[in-house]
Amino acid sequence: MKCLVSLPEALWVLLTFVSCLSIVAATDYFERLDLTPLPLGSLLASFEFRSNESLEAYASQDFRYFPRSLGQVLQHAGTKELHLRFTTGRWDTETWGARPWDGTKEGATGVELWAWIESDTEQEAMRKWLTLNQGLSGLFCASMNFIDETRTTKPSLSFQRTGDHRNASLHLLHGVLPGKAGVASLLDGHKVFDASWQSMSVDVRPRCVSGQNCLVEIDQTIDMVLNIARAKRPREDPIPRPVQPYELICDETKPYHSQDTCYPIDALETPAWSLKDVFGRPAAGACPLAEEGGPEAKSLCLNIPHSQGVWIGAGGFEVRSPPGEAEKRCYQMIAGEPFDFDMPKTSVRTHKQIELEEELITAERTMTGHGAAKGGMRTVFTNPSATEPVNLVLFESLPWFLRPFMHTLKAQIVESEFPFEWEIIKDLYYRPAVDRRRGTQIEVVLSIPPASVVMVTYDFDKAILRYTEYPPDANRGFIVAPAVVRILDKADASGNAKAIYLRTTSLLLALPTPDFSMPYNVIILTSTVMALAFGSIFNILIRRFVAFDEVPENKIGKLVKSARLRVATLKEKITGTKADKTE
Amino acid sequence: MCGVIVGYLFGLGYLKFLAPPERILRWIEGSSLSNIRTSPRLLKVPPYVSLLCFLGGIIWILLLPLDEYSRRTYISENALLPGQVHTYFHGTEQNIFRAYKHEVADVLEVQEHIQPDGSKAYMQATPQHRNKKIRELFANSGIKSAVQPFKYTVGGVEYEGENVYGIVHAPRGDGTESIVIVAPIKNFEGQMNTNGVTLLLTLARYFSRWSLWSKDIILLVTPNTSTGPQAWIDAYLSQHDPETIGSLSLKSGAIQGVICIDYPFPHRFHALHISYDGINGQLPNLDLINTATQISMGQLGIPTLLQSQQHYAKAEHQHHYKNRLKVLGHGMTNQAIGHSTGAHSVFMPYHIDAITLTAVGEGWEDEMAFGRVIESLTRSINNLLEKLHQSFFFYLLLQNNRFVSIGTYLPSAMAVGAGFSIMAIYLWLKSGYEQREEADVPVREATERDAATEDKVEAALADSNLTNAQLLESPSNGGQRLTKKKEWKSIDRPLVIPLTLVAGLYLTSLVPVALLVTAPHSKLLARAGSLSTVLLMIPFGLAFALGANRSLMDGSFFSSPQSSESANGAPRKNTLVFSDLSPPSDPKIRISQFQAIVKSLSLLVLGLQLTVLATLNFSLSMFLGVLCTPLAFAGYYRDSKMRANASLIAITLFNPFVAANAATMAAKLAGYYNDNVGMKDVLRLWLQNVSFGWNVWGSWGVLVGVFCVWIPAWTVATMGAVSSFVIDEDGQLPRKIEKVKEITKDNLTDVKKATVRRNSPGPVRKRKD
Repeated sequence: MKCLVSLPEALWVLLTFVSCLSIVAATDYFERLDLTPLPLGSLLASFEFRSNESLEAYASQDFRYFPRSLGQVLQHAGTKELHLRFTTGRWDTETWGARPWDGTKEGATGVELWAWIESDTEQEAMRKWLTLNQGLSGLFCASMNFIDETRTTKPSLSFQRTGDHRNASLHLLHGVLPGKAGVASLLDGHKVFDASWQSMSVDVRPRCVSGQNCLVEIDQTIDMVLNIARAKRPREDPIPRPVQPYELICDETKPYHSQDTCYPIDALETPAWSLKDVFGRPAAGACPLAEEGGPEAKSLCLNIPHSQGVWIGAGGFEVRSPPGEAEKRCYQMIAGEPFDFDMPKTSVRTHKQIELEEELITAERTMTGHGAAKGGMRTVFTNPSATEPVNLVLFESLPWFLRPFMHTLKAQIVESEFPFEWEIIKDLYYRPAVDRRRGTQIEVVLSIPPASVVMVTYDFDKAILRYTEYPPDANRGFIVAPAVVRILDKADASGNAKAIYLRTTSLLLALPTPDFSMPYNVIILTSTVMALAFGSIFNILIRRFVAFDEVPENKIGKLVKSARLRVATLKEKITGTKADKTE
Repeated sequence: MCGVIVGYLFGLGYLKFLAPPERILRWIEGSSLSNIRTSPRLLKVPPYVSLLCFLGGIIWILLLPLDEYSRRTYISENALLPGQVHTYFHGTEQNIFRAYKHEVADVLEVQEHIQPDGSKAYMQATPQHRNKKIRELFANSGIKSAVQPFKYTVGGVEYEGENVYGIVHAPRGDGTESIVIVAPIKNFEGQMNTNGVTLLLTLARYFSRWSLWSKDIILLVTPNTSTGPQAWIDAYLSQHDPETIGSLSLKSGAIQGVICIDYPFPHRFHALHISYDGINGQLPNLDLINTATQISMGQLGIPTLLQSQQHYAKAEHQHHYKNRLKVLGHGMTNQAIGHSTGAHSVFMPYHIDAITLTAVGEGWEDEMAFGRVIESLTRSINNLLEKLHQSFFFYLLLQNNRFVSIGTYLPSAMAVGAGFSIMAIYLWLKSGYEQREEADVPVREATERDAATEDKVEAALADSNLTNAQLLESPSNGGQRLTKKKEWKSIDRPLVIPLTLVAGLYLTSLVPVALLVTAPHSKLLARAGSLSTVLLMIPFGLAFALGANRSLMDGSFFSSPQSSESANGAPRKNTLVFSDLSPPSDPKIRISQFQAIVKSLSLLVLGLQLTVLATLNFSLSMFLGVLCTPLAFAGYYRDSKMRANASLIAITLFNPFVAANAATMAAKLAGYYNDNVGMKDVLRLWLQNVSFGWNVWGSWGVLVGVFCVWIPAWTVATMGAVSSFVIDEDGQLPRKIEKVKEITKDNLTDVKKATVRRNSPGPVRKRKD
């Protein structure tokens, strides 16, 4: 628990890796912030920090742009490629559109880690994997040491190496630690703490340019969706108290509108905002590490239509995207000069909104059924495209106490405007669970026909845990990690294969939970029963049954007998004398 | 270890614990079990013990409202922290409430329109229009919403509707848990819940501004309390039939708590009424009710009421015995009926804790105060880390801050159940013995008997050492002296027919249930009428049939007619039961034995059913137990006219059909229904409710209780009671009971002879000689 409390600080430590302190070659460092206003008063802020280190320097531990602590952990664990994700909240596809970075920079709720580890045997790979987890756990202070064997899978279809590798014997390991170990405040604690969704990623991968000149690249991103109205609240008083009557934004066209009756229309408006409002402070000017000219130097971009006006401060100048591309504007900041801009109030009714990119597919995973014995999993895929089918891999890593029945795995089209027969399940990779050793791993290659809703279902049984295996909050239920969906066969603008990922929400699995005071009651009861039953049986067993006159007299008995006799004779004497006297 | 050590000391005799006095042990040793079984004095005791159990059970319930037997409520789950947060639902939120109320009232309530020609027209928005407006108001607060159409068909009547619901996603939450707030458009009494729906929408807007939610908040507006919530929760858990009930397009995580808002009038209110009874008598965790009470009374100073207390108990008299008993009675009645008592009820079968808060009375609390109660309650549930599990799920409430827990109230139902079991065991024992006066011992006759009979007699004698010994003691010189000792002999129990009869009755008891719940509503009353006629006829038919076919009762049904012994007048052993015992010699005893066995089996099943039911639905078990009490005693009495008559009266009075009519009349007299609603209408309404409850909510209590528990037991008891009038020696209808007695007296000597002949210890004595 202590770890969770200090998590923000640990992450802050990591982020200082990218702070602009030393003067170095500009090409080795890149940073950028993209701001995209989203509907209903939200704002997506995507930070990206990227730096390189040559492979030679990395191998000789000559770290300049690479965090030393992380580099040493990676080298110790023989890790060639690392992807670490901390995510909290859920991406609201319906309102916010497609995910940032095509979902490649986000993980499941909690911590997600996958890495390629160099080793000769699988045992060694697992050992190194655990070492890596322990090391990262200490570094990030994020309880990653709980990613044990039962939470580790070896995905065969869902994850691909993004780096360039030369070594053949690499083992891919994927671990998910669902739950409470999410990231906390990152930039300005209070502001980010209020974000509706937040994801942080660390990617380390080797990259080779022209085959020889190899680099180790570390790419860190932080994406968050802020609610502007919430973020603008003063830090001293973040309570959303009812506003004063004059602050209400009312629809005055309503016939009943009066001084004490107000039909609010504020939710449709995005309030005015500036960097200071949203992040608590203006941008501190360009980073001296970054490039000073060219497209990469414009480190702050705003994705809004050109028609919208923005008041910019003195610390930077604006460059608009050329016509034809998605409309956006970027700012080149001046080193040492604070930069800020003022975004005026906008309304859905009056202002043109930036068109949100639509998600290629939406996935929703829920549990069906009730009760403590069995249940079902249901994943619904919706393909909004009228023409394009979507091929995808559904990757599920289930805890061992959730036992799926593979014969019940079914995919069916529930709604479709697509008139033809369609084979939905193309391929299946399944590794069954071993109790208390490893979880189930399911990877299904699916093809979703255009304009259709496909439902993938299977039933499962819930195992009964040993009573020491329950966590302290046993009645909460157990979190089942989100499913990962990888969309296949998609190419970017230049024709290269593009990875698109999305993740479902995590689920809460209610297992049969004992009444934990019961064991103590049972112990007390059994002890009592044992005392009584054992006692009476023992009593009878050790007894020898003999006739009364056969009982030999023991010494004490003799003594008592003689004592009694003496007492009796004494009594007789006394009473006798007494009687004599009275007579 | 502790147990072993204590046991060791105990075994060595160093510890003496619960050791009964030597004298008592001796007594138990000295009096053998067979003595108890055959002691005439002890055999008189069980009916009184049983009666004591019944009375004890009822008195126990009546004691519960006393302070000594109930406990004060307390919050068991520390995470709830009821009333520990500031509530901010006030100020300009009321301005918004007023505006929303205009919007909602427009579509919910009947609107008066003035036509161009000056005449007034009354119009009400269609459900589609209504839902569109509610979705518009959700959207205005930036909340995603969806609709769910549903249709139930029960008894040929279609119940259609459409639910609207919105979800406030918890910022930073990932949708693993949720809280549901429900506002039915029409409340349980059928009143328009305009204020409640408005409050829900205003709260939705208010809640979406807060960032502290750890659970998603689902806001559900259903058209009614009976079908809407059921369709929604079924679909939420994917337990629905997608043909008739729409699937939900928006979903969230596991539901941790449900609060239903009911504010069915425009004026200010005085108190909040908490309804908590679920389907089949299931209850929400007591912590939820306590939290609501504590927040309402402690934090906001609004009194809370339970079980329609507002109609019979003033606030200052709530702690009076009479009022507590009334709350208890209301609660138990609701639990026994097991029907929905509001929108919250349908969540209980899925182990989701839910309550309805209803504004009642006229006072000075306004809708904002109600809103603050909901706000604080939602915050408390939001605090939960685990599902509500700390506090009680089995309890009876007496007052808003007093309850009785299961450990205290369960013994009463168990005692009533035990009463039937005791009677069953008693009748079973009684049916296995025959009391007879030993007559003279005709030696010569016995010597003529064949070897096979001798063996049998020996076997019979071996079973009764007492008889043997006594007879050996009696003078043995072949004299004609009578040994006047009364004694008990083990006799064979013919079981095939009683078992078949009782099993048949209980197994077929589901048939009327199936017939009732599948009946179309238009024919429900007629079908119930014909069903009750048939069910009423069954015990009479059985009694007459058995009276006419005596062989069924005396066990001779299975014996072959060629048997030489049956020709002799002495009944043969039952060939189907492998026993060394012989059936009773006296045909009258055989009839009463048959009746006792049937009764015993039926009471055994009844006792078991009630005990099991007590753990599932305590109140139902208790009510059924009390209603069945006379059935434990009513039955076949061949030699007591008074008892036979009393039985007949008891089974007539405590009869499901009479009870149904009496209850209808009582409800009518109590003024629950309008004057223009006839008894028949009330009965039809009830039957419709029962059928609806079975088909929609899966509420089985009343139907199973009446048809599978009460009626079979009643049928058996009635059969016995009628049999005492219709059965005599010859299977003819006697005019008077006395006549039966005379006949039996006349036949007594013959019977005795037969008995003695068969059981004479002649051979034994002969050998001795």
